[in-house]
Amino acid sequence: MRVLTFGWEFPPQQNGGLGVACYGLTRELLRDGVEVIFVLPKTQETAGDARFLFADDERLIKVLRTDVSIKPYMQGDSIVNVIVGYDSEGKPIIRSRTIIEEAHRFAHQASLIAQTEEFDVIHAHDWTSYLAGVAAKVASGKPLILHVHATSYDQAAGNNVDPAIYKIEKECFAMADKVVTVSQFTKNIVVNKHFTPAEKVEVVYNGCNMYVPPQLPPTLAELKRQGKKIVLYHGRISIQKGVDHFIRAARRVVDVDSDVVFIISGSGDMLTQIIEQVGAAGLSDNVKFAGALWDEERDRMYQSADLMVMPSVSEPFGLVPLEALQHGTPSVVTKQSGVAEVLTHALKVDFWDVEEMANQILASLRYPVIRQQMVNEGRVQMRNMSWQIAAQKMQRLYRSLLQYVTT
Amino acid sequence: MLTVCPYFHVHQPYRVKKYRVFDIGNDTEYFNDSSETDLNNRRIVEKVANKSYRPTNKILKELLDKHPEFRFNLSFSGTVLDQFEAYTPDVLESFQELVATGRVEILADTYHHSLAFFYSVPEFKRQVQKHERRIKQLFGVKPRVFRNTELSYRNDLAKWCEDNGYLGIMSEGWEKYLGWRSPNYLYNPPGCSKIKVLLKNYKLSDDIAFRFGNKEWPNYPLSADTYADWIHAHHGDGQTVNLFMDYESFGEHQWEETGIFEFLKVLPEMVMRHPDTSFKTATETVEAYDAAGVYDVPDILTWADTDRDLTAWIGNDIQRDAIEATYKMEEEVMKTRKRDIIENWRKLQTSDHFYYMCTKWSEDGDVHAYFSPYQSPYDAYIAFMNALSDLQLRVRSANMQREERELEKKESERALEKPQTDYPDVTPTPDEKETHSIPETPEPELTPTSEKAGWWGKLINKIPFFKSPQRERTSS
Repeated sequence: MRVLTFGWEFPPQQNGGLGVACYGLTRELLRDGVEVIFVLPKTQETAGDARFLFADDERLIKVLRTDVSIKPYMQGDSIVNVIVGYDSEGKPIIRSRTIIEEAHRFAHQASLIAQTEEFDVIHAHDWTSYLAGVAAKVASGKPLILHVHATSYDQAAGNNVDPAIYKIEKECFAMADKVVTVSQFTKNIVVNKHFTPAEKVEVVYNGCNMYVPPQLPPTLAELKRQGKKIVLYHGRISIQKGVDHFIRAARRVVDVDSDVVFIISGSGDMLTQIIEQVGAAGLSDNVKFAGALWDEERDRMYQSADLMVMPSVSEPFGLVPLEALQHGTPSVVTKQSGVAEVLTHALKVDFWDVEEMANQILASLRYPVIRQQMVNEGRVQMRNMSWQIAAQKMQRLYRSLLQYVTT
Repeated sequence: MLTVCPYFHVHQPYRVKKYRVFDIGNDTEYFNDSSETDLNNRRIVEKVANKSYRPTNKILKELLDKHPEFRFNLSFSGTVLDQFEAYTPDVLESFQELVATGRVEILADTYHHSLAFFYSVPEFKRQVQKHERRIKQLFGVKPRVFRNTELSYRNDLAKWCEDNGYLGIMSEGWEKYLGWRSPNYLYNPPGCSKIKVLLKNYKLSDDIAFRFGNKEWPNYPLSADTYADWIHAHHGDGQTVNLFMDYESFGEHQWEETGIFEFLKVLPEMVMRHPDTSFKTATETVEAYDAAGVYDVPDILTWADTDRDLTAWIGNDIQRDAIEATYKMEEEVMKTRKRDIIENWRKLQTSDHFYYMCTKWSEDGDVHAYFSPYQSPYDAYIAFMNALSDLQLRVRSANMQREERELEKKESERALEKPQTDYPDVTPTPDEKETHSIPETPEPELTPTSEKAGWWGKLINKIPFFKSPQRERTSS
């Protein structure tokens, strides 16, 4: 079986959950003998053994190179600068385009690729690839699976949904043979907001690579020496992530226990607003901004924290609590997240219930046994959340579509 | 001859409301949830009364009236009796009517449905005594056969019961300890000469309690006719078939739609259809038969799960942490002598709280989820530990106030003793002794009046010319 896959990002480039998910799934599919042709919009380094095609390849398209990376976490009218060619002196000609234009361009190229490659089924990840998936289906007549890692509703936390992205989502879901979501939570959005028939939507939970990380030297040693307890937020600082609710909960926590320090690791379009909120709440002594931490710095922070909080307003899956667990730190997660459906051993709260969030933070710091147990039992549970299981479910889906096409 | 000895266990806990860290020090009502959730104790008792207690008691009363040979046993936790009294007094009356027939025996139990025996025998004893007083008060009878929370059992519990005058004790008839032997005989616990163990026939009991309404079960739907045949098959191979189950099996665990009530209505008739089969109460059973051998249970045995142990209650870290923190408070709690503090502490000992924290089935969820009013085991633990933290504060402040009072008393005593500073006063008064050893029956002494009389008496006795000659003699 050969799968033509469209994605927007892929390791080893540093990026969010989408690239990690594409990598994990592709690796396990290949291991099971599925051939994967992975199409990316621009030339990049890639990890793993899939056959990669790059849509900016000269052979296929007019654009020579796109030097600016296209981040999937953008609104439809976000502007990206693209090198469209070079002048006679060899200087790049730069044009600005919206990300939606880029998605359409990617679709155009996908159509050309679909006419030249041989494959059985099409699998497109995230909204920026949906148009490409649909174009490939139209060009080849092969069945299409759209894989939903996030929706316009998540990005906007329910308000001011980008109508252009919503339109692409809704129309592409209608064209797809199957829609895969990373949680029941996201399936509900796709069914209720995009009016996709429920029987067309399958849930395939993300996996998590289980490994025992090395013990790193602790960070924030001075705070720990002073007997401070550390609560960590790690992620983008945007409306979707609910950091503002988290700060309100922090205020309630500090009212009861002033020895709790909140570390915010990440950056994003709401950073200034959050800094102002912290100042206005009189929390400058208790809330520290660490910038966006990656790799070893991030892992050291995971290991040093007493508790991790994922306050997302709308989180299709949410890998961060699982990463924290690997490093021995338990989490408070919102019920508006996919990970809450698969991880029993976390504290769960509605994102708007600031009082309860504060209660859970305080209680887990007061009673250390609860943290110890969430880590011990959570790690055991994580063994059943592998990409292998996700890949097996994907293969069953591929096969069911092939039967449907041939009969 | 074959006899059938049924016992139905009636229990509701006081569930802890969503008690938050912010409530510690501000709210002493741990059990007064008034929401539309299953944490609202009144709501639950009223719901179960409609689904189970009222219709089942009606049927049981009709059966007793119709069949003069019909007999069975009931066991109540004190916490369910208190809630009947407060929320559904008619249910309590209907139970009293059943017992008044003289053919329904009440079993001894702990008042607070606790696992106290395995943590503190003195506290266990106080709860059993409190239960006995309550049963006497409500039903006018004195229990003579013991059953422990969740049917938990061990050799030393049986020994305790024998030493305290019980004729029988209930336990699970488990192959691990029975070996090839049948549960349908009476046994002696090792080292006991008088008390006999009645063993639950778990196959026949669980056919009703767990499998009755299960459509996947090959014997579904089970008729009373067939079931009576299964009982009759034990003729020649046993003396007593002991059917032990939760009372709430009728109408609550097995809903009315399963046909459980119709089953119950005709069961006694079907059982007695065989000429040599009858019903007996627990006391009648232990008086009718001799023990067939020794039932040796060195480790805790319960009626729960396939493990038949306490892992559903104390199997994980948060459960052990919560229960150990509770019993660790015993000495300080008793020292307060405050009725409300002691009562709250005991309500927190109810085994259900620890069961709600169970993570044993969190992967396949079923049984545990159905019986838990909390969204997760961790929510249960947090609410419980927060309430316990508040209780700890109350205990500490009550004992501090007490110590202050005693200090003041001592100072005033010293003032009075001044003319006789060389007088050696080494003998503690009876009151002082009590604060060091836990009183066996604290309830009457808990009233503020007796406490006042205590220190007043002490003060009087410290004044030399008030000392009675008798006291003089004992101290020398």
